[in-house]
Amino acid sequence: MISELLSMPLFWAMMTIAAFVLGQALYKATGNTPFLPPILTGVALIVAVLEVTQTPYATYMQGGQLIHLMLGPVIVMLAVPLYQFLHTMRSQWPRIALAVVLGSGTTVVTAVLLTQWWIADDTLAITLGTKSITTPVAVAITDQLGGIAAIASAAVIVTGILGAAMVPWLLRLMKCHDAQTVGLTLGVCAHAIGTARALELGSEQAAYSAMAMTLTATLHALLLPWLLPWIV
Amino acid sequence: MPGLLFLLIFLLLGTLLQRQFLLPVPAAIIGMLLLLLFLVIRGRTPAALQQSTQTLSPLLPLFLIPVSSGIVTQKAIVSDYGLELLLILAISLIPGILVTGWIMAGGRRS
Repeated sequence: MISELLSMPLFWAMMTIAAFVLGQALYKATGNTPFLPPILTGVALIVAVLEVTQTPYATYMQGGQLIHLMLGPVIVMLAVPLYQFLHTMRSQWPRIALAVVLGSGTTVVTAVLLTQWWIADDTLAITLGTKSITTPVAVAITDQLGGIAAIASAAVIVTGILGAAMVPWLLRLMKCHDAQTVGLTLGVCAHAIGTARALELGSEQAAYSAMAMTLTATLHALLLPWLLPWIV
Repeated sequence: MPGLLFLLIFLLLGTLLQRQFLLPVPAAIIGMLLLLLFLVIRGRTPAALQQSTQTLSPLLPLFLIPVSSGIVTQKAIVSDYGLELLLILAISLIPGILVTGWIMAGGRRS
């Protein structure tokens, strides 16, 4: 009976939702710590269940597909906050644009070159090139460029967790305490997980972080497909 | 949910454009830019779209679980290069943080 259950797509769709609900509950229970984003807990739970039940990923994906289907519309949806930011933050355009372009550019180029030099693997270098983009966009671009989507997703989540911890700390060392700087840097370097961290610091930090994350994602989505094959 | 219909229409438009012109940019991103263009021209966000955004945003991590769980198929890479990749991710953040912080704070510091 159990083996029958494990082969049902609907069962795996249900498990995915259950893993997400548990992840969210744990996130809330730990006071929204950036070290336990719901996506991390959710993935860890699914991976654990797949391992224990010896279920191949392909079998899981027959059900996972039902949920994965929504990723496309949700990426399109990012236009809504982006439009609102374009509207409200017009006055500081040049500085914000420069910070997003150079800041995110520096970290991505560093990651790609380090991967090339240390691991010498083009597929991994391309995959890490998407590390600063919010996960749904990173996955879409990695797929398109021939990287490994699952590794890209892991790299993005790890980057977010590291960034959420490192950004406030490093900026304090630089004696930058200003809310807009902290928010924007969190968004550029730690995308959605950084934005969750920014939300704890204040609403101005959160708004700047969300804006920076959306701008970075859009910029990288447009440029990486042309630039990455050229760097790698 | 008419807001979802909006999103699907723009996603389909993005997919068609991508196929037609063989663009290297993902279809969903093209769809997003088309929707952005639509919003800029229209001058405001339709209420239905606003409502869908509020409903769907908190669910984003859920939609990412299936593809991210594909890490189970990448055990070789994780065990061979996991530590290196972790260090690369941590080190590469430092110049990014410094550059972003420096540009944003520059000229603003009193």
